[in-house]
Amino acid sequence: MGKLDGKVAAITGGTRSIGRGMAEAFLREGAKVVVNGRDAAKGEKALKEMGGGPNIAYFAGDARLQSTADGIVDFTIEKYGKLDIMCLNSGGVQNTAPVHMMTNEEWTLEIDWNLNSVFWGMRRALNHMIPRQTGRIIVTSSVEGKLGKPGIPGYAATKHAVLGLMKAAAKEVGTLGITVNAILPGLIETDIVRETGPESAKAMGVETYEGLLEMFAQEASIKRLNTVEEVAAAAVMLASDAASGITGTSWAVDGGTLPY
Amino acid sequence: MELQGKVALVTGGTRGIGRAIAEAFVAEGASVVVNGRSEAKGEQALREMNAGDRVHFLAGDVKSREGCEALVKGTVARYGKIDILVNNAGGATGHAPVVDLEDWALEDSLKWNLWSTFWCTQYALRDMLPRQWGRIINISSVEGKHGKPGVSIYVMAKHAINGFTKSCAQEIGTQGVTINCICPGAIETDIMKDEGPAAAQAMGLTYQGLLDWFASEAAIKRLNTVEEVAVVATLLASEAGGGMTGTMYSVDGGTAAY
Repeated sequence: MGKLDGKVAAITGGTRSIGRGMAEAFLREGAKVVVNGRDAAKGEKALKEMGGGPNIAYFAGDARLQSTADGIVDFTIEKYGKLDIMCLNSGGVQNTAPVHMMTNEEWTLEIDWNLNSVFWGMRRALNHMIPRQTGRIIVTSSVEGKLGKPGIPGYAATKHAVLGLMKAAAKEVGTLGITVNAILPGLIETDIVRETGPESAKAMGVETYEGLLEMFAQEASIKRLNTVEEVAAAAVMLASDAASGITGTSWAVDGGTLPY
Repeated sequence: MELQGKVALVTGGTRGIGRAIAEAFVAEGASVVVNGRSEAKGEQALREMNAGDRVHFLAGDVKSREGCEALVKGTVARYGKIDILVNNAGGATGHAPVVDLEDWALEDSLKWNLWSTFWCTQYALRDMLPRQWGRIINISSVEGKHGKPGVSIYVMAKHAINGFTKSCAQEIGTQGVTINCICPGAIETDIMKDEGPAAAQAMGLTYQGLLDWFASEAAIKRLNTVEEVAVVATLLASEAGGGMTGTMYSVDGGTAAY
């Protein structure tokens, strides 16, 4: 018997990294899952690797667009009849820079990717969940949702902002059987970190990519990076029926990095 | 079965939150020692839990170093080791506004909540650190983050547990041992029923008024349940919990501000 038997989940991102870890954990616990990504080929490959058969589906779309945030909710309901668990997970940076060098283009991209997409997806999901009086919204924030490192001002700003959004929404729907929480992972060496990490390291004034990873590891009590499985385990717990009394919370999975 | 083969000690585990945690751990495959002051309540808990030789009762009071030492050593004697320590026993009597507060009430609250956490943690670490694996879960409270009038002895003790947890996490972070707090909102457990009326009086409220106040502060507009705390304890105790340490996890229906 799984902890999520009979539940239906949608995960923005989800073909790799943290979202993928959540998708695999949800499948194991008995849920049906829709994952999302830009590249249909990668999506097909991810579905095959995860081996969920009829219990997993792919929705193609760029998570920075409202059409994707709305679309994955609608697609999930059409495909599996309802949406119980919405993981607003996709996010990142492309060409981050210190504030004085930040372009409008990058700033706007980060706001769309990390904040607007979370708002759009949350709004669409809540409109489905509120009449049904049940639901779980899980936002992937970051330790940067409480801290701030040089060179990633847009990331820090948007990851803070989603916590404000999460807290307000949690109070709005608190009596309606719907919980809204955020998970704050420490750094994890995911595909996206490997891709954008070297550029981010430069913007952050760290000489090498390895130096960037080492800086995050040293800030943690465990002196290592986190893993997607650690985040996925927290997501399963927050998504479960037993977590109905946990809402409005910033759930750190950061090996003892954050001071509060 | 996330806790197969693990051994846990839950202080104050015959009723309320500790009991729910003990039951959740047993369901996940652990062997569990529950503790309480009353032999009769312990025997009753064992009967009700009906888990055969995977649950064991140790009578004892956590308000002394010797009592805590006996619990940890008794757990190791019974099951060979201690993997998971839940510092759950706690409470307070003698509530009063600070201006009228008596020394004995603060001393007793600190012994019951803070010193017991320190003592049990110290003895448990001596078994966990050499084996490079352990999970320590301290039951703090939403009052470990906030304050309420009339109950400063409890608020002080729970805040102190949070500070203790943060420092300890940094000491042992690389040794496979995690230490976290769970901060539950108000739950109407037996101990709340026992002590709530006196606390309410110190706060200038009726008992029902106290419960209503806690519920009204939460986004869910109700009190929490022991099962909600137990599911988080299970997560923190699991293998995947190895990446979570030094953190104050709220199980409060959206009450705490941070």
